[in-house]
Amino acid sequence: MPGETFKEYVDSFSYGSRTDLFFKWLKGAAEADAEDYIQSLLQELGEVSDTGDLSKFFEMTYEAQLAANSPPGEDPRWKYEDAPFTPLSKPLSEMRVGLITSSGHYVEGEPHAPPELSDYTQEEGTKHIGEYGRAKPFLSAVPIDLPQEKLGVHQPGYDIRAAQKDRNTVMPIDRMKEMADQGVIGEFASMAYSFIGLTSQMRLTREDAPQWAERVKDEGWEAAVLVPV
Amino acid sequence: MSVGHISRAFETAGTPTVIIQSNVYRGRVVVMKPARVVYTKHLMGRPMSAPFDTERQTHVLREALKMLETATEPETSVILPDAYRIAPK
Repeated sequence: MPGETFKEYVDSFSYGSRTDLFFKWLKGAAEADAEDYIQSLLQELGEVSDTGDLSKFFEMTYEAQLAANSPPGEDPRWKYEDAPFTPLSKPLSEMRVGLITSSGHYVEGEPHAPPELSDYTQEEGTKHIGEYGRAKPFLSAVPIDLPQEKLGVHQPGYDIRAAQKDRNTVMPIDRMKEMADQGVIGEFASMAYSFIGLTSQMRLTREDAPQWAERVKDEGWEAAVLVPV
Repeated sequence: MSVGHISRAFETAGTPTVIIQSNVYRGRVVVMKPARVVYTKHLMGRPMSAPFDTERQTHVLREALKMLETATEPETSVILPDAYRIAPK
């Protein structure tokens, strides 16, 4: 756009005029790093055109994402001194293990978001992320025998395309079932859970997370695999 | 960040947890002192793998379950060395 600075251009990929959640991390990158990344990206696309080899693209994108998410200093809000830890009480092969992800998966036909956000599509959600950040955490129960095509994904906090193609990229239901079949775990809890990770962190830590901890204990979970997106 | 809260709540309530997380977020995670974390060198939004890379998904999950079973102290973590890839044909 006329008069637009480079900084404004890269920032626009993060919930701006060019929203693209695959590249939203560019907003957190140092300007020089963003410049280097885009130039390298174009160079690499030239190479890929001849070789079809995407490994360099993956490597440079991973390194750039790592740098953009590693700003100097720490977020003091969520820095803790204690480290709660529960050791296993028996072999994993004798335990019921559950799965929770922040992927925003939900069962098609059931609510995909809290009531005040339920009218938003994924795309519309990206225009209202502040509302998600204030919303009460929204947890969906997903029966582990539900087929992939019955699952939807709503989570404006990340690029959901991989999760839509294959739930196991963020919610490894099928791999967990295999672990149970092979006896690595005693049992895979029949209900997995997914929530919208873009939510009020204060409400999550003070209210919902402790409630969910009690809920899964009531369902007999003895250990949990957690997958954030 | 949100799953860090879940991990802490579950551990406090007596349920052991393991987190599978893309390593790009490690800086935000470590300060929350989660009990066990397996970090992958995968892109944002794809912590387990690219779509349909069942071999990688199985490997990552096995590493996580191994950590769940063997960790003896809090803040146990590992960074898996495998780079992100598209699913082998």
